[in-house]
Amino acid sequence: MKLGNYKKLLPKIVVGLVIALIFIIPVFTTSLVTLSKFIVIGFWAIAAMGFMLIMRTGQISLGQAAFMGLGGYTSAVLMIKLGWPFWPGFLLAGIVAGVVALAVGVVAVRAGPIAFSIITLALAEIMRILAVEWEPVTNGIKGLVVTPPFPIYLDYYFILILVTITALVFWQIDRGRLGSLFRVIAVNPTLAESEGIPLTKYKVIAFTIAAVFTGFAGSFYAHFLGVMSPYMFGLWQSIQALMMGIVGGISSLVAGPIIGSVILNTLNDLLSRLPIYSIKPTLFGAIVLLVLLFLPKGTGLIDLWRMFWNKVFREKSVTVASPN
Amino acid sequence: MPPVELIVNGLVQSCIYMTMAFGMVLVFSILGILNWTHGQFYMLGAFVVYYAVTAAGIPFPLSILIAGAVIGGLGMLVEKYVIERVNVPGLGLLYVTGATIALNFFFEGGAGMVFGLDDKGLYSALPGVLELGSFNITYQKIAVIAFTLIVMITMYVVLNFTKIGLAIRAAAQEPSAASLYGIKVGRLSIIVMGIGCALAGMAGAIIAPVYMVNPFIGALPLMMALLAIIIGGIGSLTGAIVGGLILGFFTSIVPYYLGYISEIALFVTVIVILLVRPQGLFGVAIRR
Amino acid sequence: MSLLELKGVTKFFGKLAAVDDIDLDVQKGEVLGICGPNGSGKTTLINVISGYYKPNRGAIYLEGKKISGLRPDQVAARGIARTFQANMCFHRATVLQNMFVGSFLQYKTNEWQAFFETKTYKERRKTIVAKVMDILELLNLARDANVPAVDLPHGHQRIFGIAMALMTNPSLLLLDEPTTGMNHGEATLVVEQIRKINERGITVILIEHNMKVLLDLATRAVVLNFGTKIAEGKPREVMKKQDVIAAYLGTETV
Repeated sequence: MKLGNYKKLLPKIVVGLVIALIFIIPVFTTSLVTLSKFIVIGFWAIAAMGFMLIMRTGQISLGQAAFMGLGGYTSAVLMIKLGWPFWPGFLLAGIVAGVVALAVGVVAVRAGPIAFSIITLALAEIMRILAVEWEPVTNGIKGLVVTPPFPIYLDYYFILILVTITALVFWQIDRGRLGSLFRVIAVNPTLAESEGIPLTKYKVIAFTIAAVFTGFAGSFYAHFLGVMSPYMFGLWQSIQALMMGIVGGISSLVAGPIIGSVILNTLNDLLSRLPIYSIKPTLFGAIVLLVLLFLPKGTGLIDLWRMFWNKVFREKSVTVASPN
Repeated sequence: MPPVELIVNGLVQSCIYMTMAFGMVLVFSILGILNWTHGQFYMLGAFVVYYAVTAAGIPFPLSILIAGAVIGGLGMLVEKYVIERVNVPGLGLLYVTGATIALNFFFEGGAGMVFGLDDKGLYSALPGVLELGSFNITYQKIAVIAFTLIVMITMYVVLNFTKIGLAIRAAAQEPSAASLYGIKVGRLSIIVMGIGCALAGMAGAIIAPVYMVNPFIGALPLMMALLAIIIGGIGSLTGAIVGGLILGFFTSIVPYYLGYISEIALFVTVIVILLVRPQGLFGVAIRR
Repeated sequence: MSLLELKGVTKFFGKLAAVDDIDLDVQKGEVLGICGPNGSGKTTLINVISGYYKPNRGAIYLEGKKISGLRPDQVAARGIARTFQANMCFHRATVLQNMFVGSFLQYKTNEWQAFFETKTYKERRKTIVAKVMDILELLNLARDANVPAVDLPHGHQRIFGIAMALMTNPSLLLLDEPTTGMNHGEATLVVEQIRKINERGITVILIEHNMKVLLDLATRAVVLNFGTKIAEGKPREVMKKQDVIAAYLGTETV
């Protein structure tokens, strides 16, 4: 019995070790560059998770960057223009993002999934234009310089905790009633309605929750980078959240986006060293296409992980059919 | 009364947005999906015409047709090898959206890598200006308007008076019934995709001399076509035309008075329209 | 006692009136049969009553209160449940999981209680488990509980549709051709099950092509043709009327 058990436990032990390692990395290195890489991955993991939560309800949001920007600008403006300290600004960032998502969401969801995507796309554009043009508040393209609230290693733990909280909340949503409701709304809305499930309400709930967490992440990111400018959150950023989610695996809400963030951000890093400007969108686009075309529906790199472990430990013990 | 130039520009923009929106709605009505790469077909059409004229010396009008054929062909390949593979029953819309968005960036980045990021100008196409009293209009812009008229009339004739047009309309309304009548909806999808993308390619081609040609010109027409479609109503060809008209004039005239706020005004207008009529001006109500 | 009233209900698709000026008065506890040739508007009528379509003219009242124009989920919340002509389920989920989702209206808890799985939520869940088992027993689906709903044989899928509808605890059940594709034995079983459901106090509107089933179950019958009512009354009498037979010429009768 013990022998059989360890084969199932091993992948979990490996994952556990990796997570434990992640928690003590700053002990090994206080290099700004290395820690920054991890922090960026963490930020994008949250954004990607937000995108996937919305996708759970059968909708594609092309404007998650709007909430990153809203979060970032809210806390930056509060700090610079009104002298607020970090924490109240951070909290308000999430709230503002949520309120905007609620307001826009109610209209966008009712108009259908296609219109929803278009409106979220337009929303992100509008946010960018506001950021550029509303000089008295946002300082336009010059951006707002914000002092980071913490030294780099505290930044690291901050985002780590934020990612963990987001992951736990989303994981509980997924395994709980909200998750089932989201899934059935996506898979068979007609039947869901006949069972008394209000479609718009839950789609908007998913959109708002995603926006709140993305707003928090955006606020943190602005303070981490030390500057908030309109170029940080544009169309490409919205699409990156989408790409990380899909590459990680459409059917995964927590682990997939995290893996997607790790892989695409690492790739991003490597490609930045190359002088070819256009290689990023080309390669990223190609990867997402390959995942969608050649991996079984709904799977992504997270599932390759599972398949890998299954292959490594080829269980010859096929389950014997039970007597009844 | 805004300057006449703005009205003319508005008309020219309308033509482009209208053609783009029309192509997208045509594809949507048969395939049930929105092709987010549509803007890149526009951009690639412009590049085809640029190289056809400057590198191969092919006369401009012929180049436009070549652009249409090449881009139409590309569209058909995309339909067969990408969209069809991904468009499973049920969650297909999500997968197709993801795939066509990825493809959008693949083409944009790819064009950047292959053609370079610099602006390319195609000035020699139709030089000259028509002088009408107090203002001038370039022959090129007249060509755009004429082209759009020809396309719209052709489409009207094809859709209403030819066998294939009938097949398209039947499949758009009721795909399952259409297949019972012997219409091969699968093959029709490829053909319609070809037509829709050819329209986008030719739109990019005909307006190439008016503005610059670079890998990024596809983004704005895509955005405008999308807005035109939701204003006009997602399944409606008439809506696409009307939406294109509204947007073309709006984006040309309103900034004259309101500056950058016009973009926000546009967004607010779209939201208000959707609040009152979620299905768009000409759309069918979302409920089955 | 009148449970559901339709007054002048009309639904257009373009220029065609799929349902044309229908008046209907459904009594509590009865089994109302609706029949008619294909295309006569039966399913459209169900769609209008259950909120999937909004009538262009006329109104629908449930126990005196207007429900026409409400969304399907709102209609379900008011106690009207329906089945579908096609087999519907939430793919990738078992019969049991499907039914738990279908029990949405039974929870009566708010989202926070659901998210944190509070004691109240867990209590409610126990009552729902009992109800699910009860319905599965009633409809002889207990053995299929852990089968993916989409893998059920056709006959069981039709019955599963009824089970899902019952999860909303309805006072009125709209059944859209429950016996399609069933053989004689399966159909007889379903008739029994529907009778038992009716005996529990649930009013039933039954759309059926199978005349034997209709005659067995219905206390009253309505015949539609081209969207209008052409006959109404006791099932046997209605079947004998000349224009009913003429409308059905070519289709099978008892």
